[in-house]
Amino acid sequence: MIQFMLNGQEVCIENAGPTVTLLDWLRETQHMTGTKEGCNEGDCGACTVTVSTLDDSGVTHQAQNACILFLPQLAGKAVRTVEGLTSPTGELHPVQQAMVAEHGSQCGFCTPGFVMSMYTAHRTGRVDHDDVLAGNLCRCTGYAPIIRAAQVAATHPTPPWELDERTALQGLTTDEMGGDGFHLPTTTAELAELYAANPDATIVAGATDVGLWVTKQFREIGPLIFTHRVADLATITRVEGGLRIGAGVTLSRLRGAVADRHPDFAELIRRYGSVQVRNAATIGGNIANGSPIGDGSPALIALGATLTLRSASGTRDMPLEDFFIEYGKQDRQDGEFVESILIPDQIDTLACYKLSKRFDQDISAVCGCFAVQIQDGIVTSARIAFGGMAGTPKRATAVEASLIGHPFTQDAVRVAQDALSQDFQPLSDMRASADYRMQSARNMIRRYWLEQVEKVPTRLVGRQAEEGAI
Amino acid sequence: MAQGSLIGQSLPRVEDDRLLDGAGCYIDDVALPGMMHMAILRSSDAHGRITALDCSAARLVPGVIDVFTAEDWPQDMPVIPMRLIPLESSVPFLQRPLAQGKVRYVGEPVAVVVARDRRTAEDALEFLELEIEALPPVVTRDQALAATGDALMVPEVGTNISAQYQIGRGDIEDAFARADVTLKKTFQSHRHTAVPLETRGTIAVFDIAAGKLTIHGASKVTFFNRAELAKAFNLRNDQVDLITSDIGGGFGVRGELYPEYYLAAEASRRTGRPVKWIEDRREHFAATNHSRDVDCELEIAALKDGTILGMRGQVRADMGAYIRTNGNVVPAKAGQFLPGPYRVPAFACEVLALVTNKTPVGTYRGPGRIEANFFRERMLDCLADELGMDPAALRMKNLLGAAEMPFDTGDLLPNAQKVVFDSGDYPATFRKLLDECDWDAPAQVHSDGRLHAMGLACFNESSGGGLYENARISVAASGQITVSTGSSSMGQGVETAIRQICADALSMAPERITVALSSTTLLSDGVGSFHSRSTVMAGSAVGQAAAELLDQARGEAGRRLNAAPAELDYSDGVFRVMGQSDRSIRLSDLSAMLSDQGGLDVESRYEQAPLGFSFGAHAAHVAIDPGTGDIEVLDYWVVEDVGRVLNPALVEGQTIGGVVQGLGDALYGELVYDDMGQLLTASFADYLLPTSTEVPDIRAVATGDYPSPHNPYGFKGAGEGGIVAVAAAVGNAIARAIGPAGDAICQTPFHPEKILTLLHAAKKGKQ
Repeated sequence: MIQFMLNGQEVCIENAGPTVTLLDWLRETQHMTGTKEGCNEGDCGACTVTVSTLDDSGVTHQAQNACILFLPQLAGKAVRTVEGLTSPTGELHPVQQAMVAEHGSQCGFCTPGFVMSMYTAHRTGRVDHDDVLAGNLCRCTGYAPIIRAAQVAATHPTPPWELDERTALQGLTTDEMGGDGFHLPTTTAELAELYAANPDATIVAGATDVGLWVTKQFREIGPLIFTHRVADLATITRVEGGLRIGAGVTLSRLRGAVADRHPDFAELIRRYGSVQVRNAATIGGNIANGSPIGDGSPALIALGATLTLRSASGTRDMPLEDFFIEYGKQDRQDGEFVESILIPDQIDTLACYKLSKRFDQDISAVCGCFAVQIQDGIVTSARIAFGGMAGTPKRATAVEASLIGHPFTQDAVRVAQDALSQDFQPLSDMRASADYRMQSARNMIRRYWLEQVEKVPTRLVGRQAEEGAI
Repeated sequence: MAQGSLIGQSLPRVEDDRLLDGAGCYIDDVALPGMMHMAILRSSDAHGRITALDCSAARLVPGVIDVFTAEDWPQDMPVIPMRLIPLESSVPFLQRPLAQGKVRYVGEPVAVVVARDRRTAEDALEFLELEIEALPPVVTRDQALAATGDALMVPEVGTNISAQYQIGRGDIEDAFARADVTLKKTFQSHRHTAVPLETRGTIAVFDIAAGKLTIHGASKVTFFNRAELAKAFNLRNDQVDLITSDIGGGFGVRGELYPEYYLAAEASRRTGRPVKWIEDRREHFAATNHSRDVDCELEIAALKDGTILGMRGQVRADMGAYIRTNGNVVPAKAGQFLPGPYRVPAFACEVLALVTNKTPVGTYRGPGRIEANFFRERMLDCLADELGMDPAALRMKNLLGAAEMPFDTGDLLPNAQKVVFDSGDYPATFRKLLDECDWDAPAQVHSDGRLHAMGLACFNESSGGGLYENARISVAASGQITVSTGSSSMGQGVETAIRQICADALSMAPERITVALSSTTLLSDGVGSFHSRSTVMAGSAVGQAAAELLDQARGEAGRRLNAAPAELDYSDGVFRVMGQSDRSIRLSDLSAMLSDQGGLDVESRYEQAPLGFSFGAHAAHVAIDPGTGDIEVLDYWVVEDVGRVLNPALVEGQTIGGVVQGLGDALYGELVYDDMGQLLTASFADYLLPTSTEVPDIRAVATGDYPSPHNPYGFKGAGEGGIVAVAAAVGNAIARAIGPAGDAICQTPFHPEKILTLLHAAKKGKQ
């Protein structure tokens, strides 16, 4: 059984198929067709809904893509759709009114998704409209009228008919949740037991990748173990010498947690997933999938992160870079799952350079992450990792070795650049040629030196100005 | 309220009432009782012979009620015809709804599964056993020209050239003989497509007992499609209805007569059930029309002072595997618009259409114009460089002036249709753009380490057309007015525009008017929405129908009020005898009195006059990162004379939307094929669309300076001016930003890697 709130009404689903998406359930079972399917893979935002969650710190409201959100992931939460925004007498919500006034809708197909992104931002007081809306595609308006509408709506207060979900969420039964073909553990220990007993199970955290196995590859992936209710997997803890990030921490929370210490990492997270995806995707899922082009791992490797794997028989620690063996293969045994990652404390020298055709939410041609410590003019440590240059996220050990023990000078940059070819033989594909990958990786070394040593600002001014808001 | 008072007002959009709270009704939101779902097995090979196709296992899948292939079609499978610019040589390359014997592109329909739900139908596709013997794939224009034997699309034809003809005007040999300067370059506009956010879909209901076929989810050209579907299923036109719903973006690709309409109708005929088909996004990238994919060898002849004497060249379009309903529009318009809004006294061009093993090409917003404008405007900047002239001055010198209007363009189309530019003062409108973007100001110095430059492009653009359009206005006894046109709305705000014109023509409040567009049940005939024609053609038809309706009503009112028609005043839906306010009668009452004749109900056909041509110019400010080749468009300006402006907010929405769509096409979106004819970009992760963070500051100015003399309102189309010169202006800006290396900016899209490669090559050349 799964219980959640839908537009203020309690919903109880007895026999939910574990891979039925919220989008299909809304449209086909509930005949609520306001939420649209534009791509069914979390890229277009036409299916955006607001998901509200109650935890110790209160109720949080987040925009998410309903097309890759499985029903069990909603257990104990509240969902708001575009049908649930107007007043009981049909008065439009301020974000809807602003969309009318600013001609923010043309064909209207993307409109419900935009409205829900805007509604979520309005409710939470966010005014970084560019970022809030970057996960919603529109083909008609050119976005300018929609951004204007978001700006106008931000000046209006929350309407008086807005519901407070807290009481309703507190009232939801959470004890007996679960069902055929899926599990909803609540502790890491329980998760480990379940996984040991079901080594063929698929662990689902945010489903931003697993969702596509179902909607695009039509794969049978059961049984499923959902991790979103495992509270101790979603913690961020200060420990001796560092920050321990639970595998269930979403990219949104990770971004907030590292914003002060490593602002470049926070900005990288902003660029590689939309708001909707960051709200669902977890750092554990990101690492466990081992994608060669995921942007999170190069940054974490550069920061010297340690990975903790857990199974029923205990835990195992390793440097993150050792987890990635080759393309599609990670050092994970049956019954093992990613439990947490430890980012050691350090002086922030991290710089992340993401090269992609489109600025936001585009798979990197190359992602280079650099953390080089210098004492008395000599490089004492260098951690440099790249994505997009090999079959896995990978450290540039030859480049690092060429720098350590020497002054970080223009000559050192040249030597380091030449060392790159010992570390990498990148591939040519549709996204970039091998030459371009190599050339831009070389340029990134120089760019890092310019920024860190020569203090020359190298970031794009126009875009940097927009990136202020976290 | 006086007639004419609503023209030029930014009335709010009538569509928004339902679209803002999720009450819009798109085709996938429609469910009919007993409805089944269809999925299509599509070829995963680019070119090959079908050696086996076994459906028996799929038929046994629980929930599957029918499976069919080309062999199961009751008679000869219908051929999907050309609607626009049909040429005899293209006929052998027309498509049938299902592949017969051979497959010719990845995504070609091969078999159909009908099942109780979409998931079951899609899953059952895996049980169809299709064997294909590979034939050599043809994926480039050069391969198409060289093809022989098994590489021929239709071996009996003996060539992969589906159309070839010459156009021109003036004495081209003389022009090149007199020239001080000639330049020759080869340009290319890449394959991309519109990508509306709603994929395609339909529900077909074939009621055999009643002899009725109903197709839901129609748009664009409902009456043409009706006639063709009627023919294909041996029905009369009045036995077939096409019903429109809300449409999630058209941009040219939606609503053409695609194979899937036939397949859904046949599926419904075979099963006796309503059959729904909704396209998956990945399916969309391989099945819905692609567009552009044209190259051009172009040569220009000019005097030292910049006077253009002539242009000559060859345009070659990659049409994909079949010629679809848009016929030869893409290559024909790429040729026709090459001389553009300039004098160009001599012009000669060969137009070639070539078939390849890729998804068929159709029209996408600005078909042929995007390509021609890019080729010509880049050439003009190269000529300006060659002559050491300011690009603006070169254009100003050659743009057609008011005194030269109307301007006969000569024989530039294969069907000998005359094209005449109707009105405008192109230099004056161009001047407005130069002032808007401050072109003449000293170049700004930027300190961000990037290479900055501005680029310009001019265009003119035809609108209206399509022979005629119908409008019907009826008055209910309640006073509610209903207006219908053959043109449909695919999201551009056509309902708002039609209501606005109708309210104006009937001088009454827009709220009293209901708009219902383009379903074949609404009016007897109509044409559709394309070529920026809805406001021009359907709007004019509405004005004409309203005048006829008022004329008829005036006569009736006179009879009932015992007054001569000329003695009656009319406003706000009421006729009054002049000077006697107590002697009056309402339209609604008149309609009720005439109920035995069907009330006040007028359908009127507006016949096409010559086309109206808008003129406009774009300017782009770009910045290039010399370390990565990264391109950012910082500012953008559009000034366009669109004739009389109906609704400024709608026009601005069209222009800004068009610019951003064009920026996405110029910088990101590309349909990439490998050597085997496999499509590599079939998801939003690989086919990139611009997001809200890529949008520059865009200023769009629509002037109403030069109304078209060819329609009663003076409208010119406004749907395409935002997109048609984006690749040209951005290309010119990039070329200027990177200096001499920019001479090689001859192909779209503009990718950072290409820019960086050019910068490196230029650096090496210098050393």
